[in-house]
Amino acid sequence: MSTVETPVAPSDDAPPLSQLRRLAAFATSQQAILFLVLVAVMCFFDFQNARFFGTSEFGNLIVDFSTAILIAVAEMYVITSGGIDLSVGSTIAFSGVIGAYAMQFLENHHFGEFGSLLVGTIACAGVGALVGLINALLITKARLVPFVATLVTLSMGEGLALVFSKGGTVGYDPGAAVWSATGFWVFTWLSVIVLVITAISGIVLHFTRYGRYNFAIGSNPFAARAAGINVNLHVASVYVLSGVLAGLNGMIWYFQSSGGAPQNGIGLELEAIAAVVIGGVSLTGGVGRFSGIILGVAILTVVHDGLTFINVATTWNEVVVAAFIALAAVLQSLGSGARKRT
Amino acid sequence: MDTTPENSSLTSSATGQSEPVGSGVESSASSLLSLRDITKSFGAVQALRHVDLDIPAGQVTALIGDNGAGKSTLIKTISGIWAPTSGTMYWQGQGVQVHTPRDASHLGIATVYQDLALCDNLDVVQNMYLGRESTRAGLLDEITMELATTQTLKDLAVTSVKSVRQVVGSLSGGQRQAVAVARAVMRESKLVILDEPTAALGVTQTAQVLELIRTLSSKGIAVLLISHNLNDVFSVADRIAVMYLGTLVHHGPIANYDRNSAVEMITTGKSDRVPSSLASSN
Repeated sequence: MSTVETPVAPSDDAPPLSQLRRLAAFATSQQAILFLVLVAVMCFFDFQNARFFGTSEFGNLIVDFSTAILIAVAEMYVITSGGIDLSVGSTIAFSGVIGAYAMQFLENHHFGEFGSLLVGTIACAGVGALVGLINALLITKARLVPFVATLVTLSMGEGLALVFSKGGTVGYDPGAAVWSATGFWVFTWLSVIVLVITAISGIVLHFTRYGRYNFAIGSNPFAARAAGINVNLHVASVYVLSGVLAGLNGMIWYFQSSGGAPQNGIGLELEAIAAVVIGGVSLTGGVGRFSGIILGVAILTVVHDGLTFINVATTWNEVVVAAFIALAAVLQSLGSGARKRT
Repeated sequence: MDTTPENSSLTSSATGQSEPVGSGVESSASSLLSLRDITKSFGAVQALRHVDLDIPAGQVTALIGDNGAGKSTLIKTISGIWAPTSGTMYWQGQGVQVHTPRDASHLGIATVYQDLALCDNLDVVQNMYLGRESTRAGLLDEITMELATTQTLKDLAVTSVKSVRQVVGSLSGGQRQAVAVARAVMRESKLVILDEPTAALGVTQTAQVLELIRTLSSKGIAVLLISHNLNDVFSVADRIAVMYLGTLVHHGPIANYDRNSAVEMITTGKSDRVPSSLASSN
C-alpha cells in the first residue's frame, strides 16, 4: 500500500497527552490501591495478633481463598461478558448434594476412595454444566435478561438441593475431609488444583481469543456480532463455564463439610459479586482485570478470617465487607468520571 | 473508470429469468456488487421494494434518501445483518447468499455503521482485529497486531490517533471513524460501506474523513456512502443512488445530478431535471 499524502489538520480533537497519562496511571492504580489495602489489612491483623502470619494461619487463608475463588472467577467471566449469574451459590449446594449421592453409591459398591472422589468431581461439574446450560438456554433462546434467568436457577438449585437431600447432609464422608487437608507446606493438594484452574482461567481471559470476545461482547454485543463473533454461542458457553466452576466449587464444599449439605454455598453469589466489584470489574460489562478479582477475593478472605482470628464477632464481617464494596465502587465511579472528562 | 451508461452482458445474465428492469437501467461492466430485485419485509411493512443497484469497484457510490427511505435497511441486507425476503445479490458476477456478517466479511464487504460498532472498552488494536485476532500457539499475538495496526493507520495517513493502545471510548468522533474505516481496509475489503460517516463530526474532522474516502477509492476499493449531507456527497461521490420509501428511484453518475434535482428526488422520489433515460425508475 502506498502512503497517500493528505493534509492532516492539527489534532485538536485528540485529548491532551497529560490527561491520558493521568488516566492510565489511574487505571493501573486501582490494582495498586487494592494491593496496598490487602497489605494494610494483613498488617493490621498481624499487629493485633502476632501469630496471624504464622504458617498454619497462612495455610488456612489459602484454603479459604481456594474455597471462594472459583465462583468469583465464574462471576468475572459472566459479568465481563455483560451478564450476571446469581445461581452460582445454589449450584454449590445442588451439585454437592448430587455429587455426594454419586460418591455414596460408588463407595457402597466398593469403589476405591480416589475413584469415587474423581467420579464425584465429574458429577459435580456435570450438574453445574447442566444448570449453566439451563441459564444459557433461558438467556439466548427464551431471551430472558440474565438477572431473571439466573434468579430462576438460583431458586431451582436451592429447592432441588433441599428436595434431594431431604434437608440433611448427604454421604457423610470424613475421609474426604482428611484427604483435603493433605498437602505440602502451606498448600493443600486441593488448593493447588484450584490455584491451577484459577491461573488457567486468568490466562484464557486475557491472552486468548475466547477472553477477548468475552470483553468485546460485554462492551458492545452489536459490534461483536458485526465483527463475525457468534455472540449467542459465546454467551451460552460462558454460563456453562460458570456452572462448571460453581459445580467444582460444590465439590470443594463437599470436602470441607464432609458431605453434600443443602445449605452449602447458599448466598455466596453475592460474596462472589462483591469480590468482583471490589476487584474493579464493571457490572456493566467489558471492563476488568483478572488480578483485580484475585485481590478482591484475597481481601475478603483476609478480612473474614482476620476478624475471627482477633475474636471480633463474625457478625461484623458483613459490615466491613460493605465498607470495602463502597470504597471500590467509589474508586470506580471516580475512574469512569475521569474517562468521560477526556 | 468508465461509467458510460450501457447495458452490459453482466446485467442481462445477472437478472436471469427475473423481470427485466426498466429500460434506463445502466450498469458498469466492472460491477463489484449487483443487487437485483431485493425486497425486505418486516411483517406487514415492506422496507425495501424491488431494489436494483450496481456498485462498481474503485468508485464512491453515494446512497441518499430521506429518513425511513430504506438506506439503513439496504446496507444491513448487504452486510448480512439480516437476509433479504427475496431477490438476488451478485458479487463479481456470481450469485451469492449473505446470511450473516461473517458471510459478507468473507466476500470482502466491510460495513462501518452509524453507531460505529466499535467496542468502547477495547483499545484501537483490539478493535481493529476484533473477530480475526492473530494468535501464536493459541495465545494472542499482540505485537504483530500492534505493528500492523500502526502501519495501516500510517498507510491511510491517519495521524490524529496518538496511541494505538488507547481505549476507543476515549477517542473523538473523527478518530473513531478513522479507526472504523482503517479496520475495514486492514481486512482487505473490496467494498467498504460507510453509514453517515460525517453525521456527528465537525468541519475539520469531516474533511479528514472525506479525504480518507478518496484514499480508499484511489486504492481501488468500492465505497458505498450513505449520507444526508449533500455537500459531502457532491464532494466525494462518483455515482449517486436515490432511495424513496423503500424503492431505489434513480441511480447514475454524479454528473447527471445537481443539488436541486437530488433534493427533489429525496423529497418526492422523482425529478424533472434528470433525463429519465439516464436513471432507472420503478
